[in-house]
Amino acid sequence: MSVQAITLTIDGRTVAVPKGTTIYHAAKLAGIEIPIFCYHDRMPPLGACRMCLVKVEKMGRLQTSCTLEAGEGMVVSTVAPEVKLGQEAILEYLLVNHPLDCPICDKGGECPLQDQTFRWGPGRSRYVEVKRDFAKPISLGPVLVLDRERCILCWRCVRFGEIIAGDDALKGFERGFATEVNTPFTLPVQSKFIGNTIAICPVGALTAKSYRFISRPWDNTAVPSVCTLCGVGCAMYLDVRGNTITRVRAREAPAVNDIWLCDLGFFGQSYVGREDRLRRPLVRRNGALVETTWDDALDVVARQLRAAGNRAGCIGGGRGTNEDAYTLGRFFRTVVGTNHIDHRVDLAPQTASALVPWGMTSSIADLAAADVIVLAGCDVTEEYPVLWLRMKQAIDRGAIIIAITPKRLEIERWIAHQLVHRYGVGSEVFAALIGGRTGRRRLGGTPGGVAEEALEAASAALMAAARPVVLIGRLALDAPDGVAAVDALVEICRRIGAPLNVMRGKGNEFGAAAAGVLPTCGPGGRPLDEIRADLEAAWGEPVARERGMNVPEMLEAAARGSLSLLYVVGADLATSLPERRRWTDARTGLSFLVVQDAFLTETAQAADVVLPALVVAEKSGTVSNIEGRVQRVEAAVEGPGDARADWEIVGLLSERLGRPIAYSAWEEIFEEMRRLIPDLEIGERVPPTGVRGSGSEVRPAPTDTGHRTSDTETVQDYPLTLIVGDVLFDRGAMGARSPAIADLAGEPWALLHPDDAARAGVAAGDVVVVTSKAASLALRARVSDAVMRGDVFIPRGFDGTPVNLLTDAGGDTGTVVRVNAFAPVTGGTVEP
Amino acid sequence: MPEPFLLKHIHEPDPADLRGYLARGGYEGLRKALAMPPAEVIDEVDKSGLRGRGGAGFPTGRKWKFIPPDPSVIRYLVVNADEGEPGTFKDRTLLEGDPHRLLEGIAIGSYAIGAHQAFVYLRREFYRARDLLERAIAQAYEAGWLGRGIQGTGFDLDVVLATGAGAYIAGEETALLESLEGRRALPRLKPPFYPAVKGLYMKPTAVNNVETLCHVAWILARGAAWYREQGTPILVSISGHVTTPGVYELPLGTTIRGAIAAAGGMRGGRVFKACFPGGSSSALLTPAYLDTPMDYDALAKLDVPGSMLGSAALMVMDETTCIVEIVARTVEFYRDESCGKCTPCREGTIWLSQVFERILHGRGRMEDLDLLAGVARGMMGTCFCPLGESVPPSLNASLRFFRGEYEHHIRTGACDVGVTA
Amino acid sequence: MTPPRLSDNAKSEIRSLMSQFPQSQSALLGALFVAQDEAGYLPPEVIEDVAAVLGLPVSEVASVASFYHLFFFKPVGRYVVQVCTNISCTLEGCGGVLRHLRRALGIDVGGTTADGRFTLRTAECLAACEEAPVMLVGTDRHGRLTPEKVDALLMRYHEHRTPDAEPRTP
Repeated sequence: MSVQAITLTIDGRTVAVPKGTTIYHAAKLAGIEIPIFCYHDRMPPLGACRMCLVKVEKMGRLQTSCTLEAGEGMVVSTVAPEVKLGQEAILEYLLVNHPLDCPICDKGGECPLQDQTFRWGPGRSRYVEVKRDFAKPISLGPVLVLDRERCILCWRCVRFGEIIAGDDALKGFERGFATEVNTPFTLPVQSKFIGNTIAICPVGALTAKSYRFISRPWDNTAVPSVCTLCGVGCAMYLDVRGNTITRVRAREAPAVNDIWLCDLGFFGQSYVGREDRLRRPLVRRNGALVETTWDDALDVVARQLRAAGNRAGCIGGGRGTNEDAYTLGRFFRTVVGTNHIDHRVDLAPQTASALVPWGMTSSIADLAAADVIVLAGCDVTEEYPVLWLRMKQAIDRGAIIIAITPKRLEIERWIAHQLVHRYGVGSEVFAALIGGRTGRRRLGGTPGGVAEEALEAASAALMAAARPVVLIGRLALDAPDGVAAVDALVEICRRIGAPLNVMRGKGNEFGAAAAGVLPTCGPGGRPLDEIRADLEAAWGEPVARERGMNVPEMLEAAARGSLSLLYVVGADLATSLPERRRWTDARTGLSFLVVQDAFLTETAQAADVVLPALVVAEKSGTVSNIEGRVQRVEAAVEGPGDARADWEIVGLLSERLGRPIAYSAWEEIFEEMRRLIPDLEIGERVPPTGVRGSGSEVRPAPTDTGHRTSDTETVQDYPLTLIVGDVLFDRGAMGARSPAIADLAGEPWALLHPDDAARAGVAAGDVVVVTSKAASLALRARVSDAVMRGDVFIPRGFDGTPVNLLTDAGGDTGTVVRVNAFAPVTGGTVEP
Repeated sequence: MPEPFLLKHIHEPDPADLRGYLARGGYEGLRKALAMPPAEVIDEVDKSGLRGRGGAGFPTGRKWKFIPPDPSVIRYLVVNADEGEPGTFKDRTLLEGDPHRLLEGIAIGSYAIGAHQAFVYLRREFYRARDLLERAIAQAYEAGWLGRGIQGTGFDLDVVLATGAGAYIAGEETALLESLEGRRALPRLKPPFYPAVKGLYMKPTAVNNVETLCHVAWILARGAAWYREQGTPILVSISGHVTTPGVYELPLGTTIRGAIAAAGGMRGGRVFKACFPGGSSSALLTPAYLDTPMDYDALAKLDVPGSMLGSAALMVMDETTCIVEIVARTVEFYRDESCGKCTPCREGTIWLSQVFERILHGRGRMEDLDLLAGVARGMMGTCFCPLGESVPPSLNASLRFFRGEYEHHIRTGACDVGVTA
Repeated sequence: MTPPRLSDNAKSEIRSLMSQFPQSQSALLGALFVAQDEAGYLPPEVIEDVAAVLGLPVSEVASVASFYHLFFFKPVGRYVVQVCTNISCTLEGCGGVLRHLRRALGIDVGGTTADGRFTLRTAECLAACEEAPVMLVGTDRHGRLTPEKVDALLMRYHEHRTPDAEPRTP
């Protein structure tokens, strides 16, 4: 690196810094602290608070050190009398209208205003007037509380929304002394990242509802952990007092989340300490689940597993640690003797999701360095929100985003080319991107309703890319044309030299895949046949030989009666499966169901034995994120009752089955994994093999859904195509148990195009009944042209109103519906 | 004394009429400029000695030379027609009296710096000016003085009229650019956002005042040498207790006393007490300074900190004026017009106004005088932009020259001069 | 009462403003005036409509609008009377003019007459100090004000027989 060095003097110390360094940073390098409020090192300098004033020789006025670039030979003082006077003046000004209600302020003890007044303040105030008076505190939605009197107008939160998140959630209103930070019309804040503004607020103006008067910072113990709610794997601290998580803070992880989290991460961890956690094993006796001892429950399960042998299957494993997943894989492949093991709980048959390895081959950091990012059916802020912050950085550096989705993304304003298409024809749009003009004309000019010019422009941008990154998401993978979409994108990636990233999977599903919880792949994502000898050597036992079934295949086998036992780990199949009937049919055919979970989910309620499991926050070990990066988690709190880690539970089962897998601690498991997965290293990546790699699975044989309707029947009775997609805030097993998240999620809804809404006589906010061949659901209508005419979008994850009731008519891959205004008088058709 | 020219035509029956303007020799300056290489146009303006008439007084030619002449870079000219400095009304007078002159100046300036789009940021309250300017622009387009291929040359220029919405701070050039981009009028950080380098839409931009560009039209029409012979005239807005308030075209360096004389002297034969020589942002001056020449240097060099020519808005006060009330009004003005971005301006102005409020309502304390000075001291040299630092000069001068008046207010709770309001 | 929404005419007027600038946000202040001229003020619904036309976040539009003093967020009278209270007008007795207006209209600064005809506000220097004290009534500027002149003017606006063009809000 040939960075020109600048030498300057600060408070008599000579400092050499690279050209472009500010005085503030130069001082920091020299070990000299300059007080700041508005400056934040993740944003460009603003120079508004005037706290960081310094004196520079030969410059007439005091200078803000956060904005002034170090110059050769500069002589800077941070302690000159003028500087002292300036600092005292600024602090006095800041405090004149500050309420000084520190004793009841959540920020007390970790407040920069407090600390800097302590160190640099004048020690007295000459202010005798009446302080500025605002109604306080005011609620800005389910998570945020605003105290405008405490606000010192540093603009950090406003600029976070403008620069970092791009959501413009908080703004300055009015001007001069009347200036206040707020949302427009004091409405609930619209953001997925607002927790970060609480973190960077230098006073107690922005605080979290969930942390109000909960704890003093010095009473918290910070436990390093990793969020496993979406798959980005953001590093976080769980602040713990007693055995309670009091709050969540971002932990700096430059390669992953930098210093940010999303609001699901901040406020979605409260499920951990919920009262309704499973505490004791349950066993079905006389038709009812009753509490029992571990010994009893394990005896029952061991007996059933021994009897089932390779007619047993295991689904799940993506919610625990890597060590949990690895132990599960070892247990089923050796002790139980089956390869029917799959973490991909929500896999639908015949979808592209079953064909490609999940995860990113690019690194998260690559996103920020890209010049063109293609979001193909990937609703990034709903599915992997913190990745958006990286993309926003790329945009700020001049990158452009091409989004090709059946639903307009909420970040549309930042997207150079947003192509919204009819659901189910995304593959044609992808193909047309590189198909050239003739290819498009063959498609009638407007594939999926996308205008030719828009396509042309996006295509030109794509072809000009130097560092492109392509992301395919669930809205493309699980669409009826998902396989064609993957083919088209593979071709695009080949042509432009881009990596194809498969944005599919949540929690620690990437760790589960890497640990070998896949029917045909062992640890490290290597095909089982290739790794079998290594596994047998390491485990000292034969590994099952029969080809493993994936989730849809297992369910089908269960329905046929050829799979007799299902062992479900941390998954609610009833609500997660794209088609509910596949679950009910499977359950009917099964002779025994074991569910190992933290909650008595709908699936668990149908189990023969329920085993109480710990969640990640209660365990130590490692987890892997969407780019395959391995990170450490530490147990922050003790689990409820007798709940145990997944790896411990299967360890106990293996003892009962006479072939003990006896690990003493997670480290032992991790070391064993490292011997089988050469790249496994804490902090490093074990990325998926990539779509073009040889490790991808064989295509499953097409299975007959038996529910397809003929076209004529469809169009007349069910004129709308259903899109099912993920939303960040839902009311699933965890969301429903984190009050803030449940509030943010609100009521279940359906999004309609205005024309379709008008045709149905429905306005935004009305209750509508959405009917497919299989069922009807009552939902709150949202109306916008974010979807095309003829498409209706319903989010997953509202377990009380499960959309998989509707999709029984054909899976995610082609359900058609009709929408009617809710008419209670003629009711009776609304389910459930 | 040379004949005034800037104000010569402001009383025409229809100021926006193009034919009349052409008949008076209008657009001659532009015609000449278009025949010259742009660099020579800038040189001519440079040679004239013209300094910006917006308040800062920066030499116009030099300002234009900062604009990179690289033709591959889009450049803009922005006209600051957001006249708002208290006591200043010369730009409005020119806009309402000679709108084509401004358009001519705009076209010359744009040609000189290579801009093909110019934006006039007009104060919203200038309704009459807007009507005239809109009409003048339409006529100029029609007659080929604006638009594509001006007068058969290859020079294209579009002029777009935009208005403010009630914010004094938008008169600060970088705040004006923010406002013109549709945002809150908050000043930008300098560096790096010097308009000549990163101005409107982050492109090199010349921001010029209305009067400045009218001078430019005359300079190009008659030549820099002629212009200098006229004594480098400036427009002085004279208001307050003079016989005939108005805009006067005076040679740079006319004394304050001379300017007051030009406005008919003190009204009703009353006695001069104080004045703001350059808008409310300049320090207050007393009779002792009446013979100070109104030019950039002489005013700035006085022993009264913050004294300056500024926008040459001379506000004259006679012996009936309550200085405490007037300074309180200036403080309130800056309080209400502070953008709120930086701490000292936002908090200092409200604090000062609260202290003034007490003093004017008979709740003053003697220590308030030190407090006022102290709060003002904390604002000096610490504010983000000049707005906040416009408060201390008049406040400090009033505390120095009229301390007795403050003390009287505090002691008696009343004013010892005829209150004007 | 259903809140006012932006008409299609206003929307197309805003779009034509947008086309004048290299970046459409530059049309924001103008767009807000178009909206305010039509609706009389800027209720949240109208701000949302403006944001939608310009493709800007509602928060940005609301924030920008709140910065400038000539936007109204509550209904105002047909004529907004703005009395300059800056230095030159203070020196020329604007205080008396303002007192007189408050009495004559029966409202305080910031208030609107019961008949919805006048809203009284103060203004900073209107750059017409040569004719101080000065006020704007709608878009008309009036100077050298005295209580008598104010009365005569109010009468004129009250009868709506002003020779001036159809008034706009400022």
